[in-house]
Amino acid sequence: MMHQALTGWSLWLALLGACVGTYLCRAVGVSLSSRINQDSEIFRWLAAVTYAMVAALTVRLIFLPIGLLATVPAWIRIAICVLSIAVMLSKPTRRLVPALLTGTLLMVSYGLML
Amino acid sequence: MTSTSNSLEHRFKNQRDAFWGGVREGAAAPAMVLFAGMVGFGAMGKTNGLDIWFTTFTSFFMFALPGQVVLLEMVITGSAAIAIALAVTLTATRFITMTVTLFPQLHSKHRNRSLYTSVHLLAMTAWAISMREFPRIESEHRKSYFIGLGLLCWMISIPGTILGYYLAGMVPTPVTLGLIFINPLFFLLTFTEVKPWINRIGICLGCIFGPLFYSLNKDSSLLVTGLVAGTIAYYIDRKILRKRPGLIG
Repeated sequence: MMHQALTGWSLWLALLGACVGTYLCRAVGVSLSSRINQDSEIFRWLAAVTYAMVAALTVRLIFLPIGLLATVPAWIRIAICVLSIAVMLSKPTRRLVPALLTGTLLMVSYGLML
Repeated sequence: MTSTSNSLEHRFKNQRDAFWGGVREGAAAPAMVLFAGMVGFGAMGKTNGLDIWFTTFTSFFMFALPGQVVLLEMVITGSAAIAIALAVTLTATRFITMTVTLFPQLHSKHRNRSLYTSVHLLAMTAWAISMREFPRIESEHRKSYFIGLGLLCWMISIPGTILGYYLAGMVPTPVTLGLIFINPLFFLLTFTEVKPWINRIGICLGCIFGPLFYSLNKDSSLLVTGLVAGTIAYYIDRKILRKRPGLIG
């Protein structure tokens, strides 16, 4: 089924709605946070909920991607993630940048081999 | 009110030092990651025939990459404006709990109305780093640190988007692949630095339930996954882990 992309004022209306909706979530967070203590049970629960949400989003971006990344076979994406995590954990101190470079360069190399 | 600041060594001398500490931390990896993501987003806007203003405004006013991608996708496929607003807002619900878990760690004198402005700088990148670093920063310096980190991330996302827009089509495919992959990879890697077991369980369950709920309903899957996986993690922590302090850590 072919769709017509949004144009004109409805395009900007969509942007306005998206911006307002996004900011509203941030503002609701501020308003709720003023009533929450960091030592409370609800704080512990919400932290677990947030990490689970962020994990779900990350998994979605890596394993159920849309567009260009979807052209890379899933096992290649998984292998690159495993290797990057291995670099990250290879030393107890921070190895974020080397691990990021490993993963990104491997992905670029895969692209070059096509 | 927090009393954790007493036991900490003084990592930053003053607010200014804390602000620049945040900027330095941001420059180390997060800003580069976000820049790459925004270049990818800018290119996506151009290749789908949107104008430069629309694409850049999205980064400036939304500053939430996953939501921006949802917006773009739905605009291209011609969804109704109201449906777009709802879908984007649903992906943004993570900001509610991200804010609620980050801002109570600020010093009580900083927990005021000004946070309604600062919160715009909150995105997944700055959140992940702040959650990791806050326990090692005195509470009165945390806000300045966060502003330094978040401001750099926000500021860099605008030139990133514009650059991506004008480079679209000129960048070879392998580089584009790297640009879009670096963002999720960054989040994946920061998970390995999460210390509390309750949150580690939340992450593992989120990875399992995420695709499951995604297959049931795309729009609400993040929220539902968070609530289900987070609640299970909380109960595991409360009923099992906390009763056996010797079991782990």
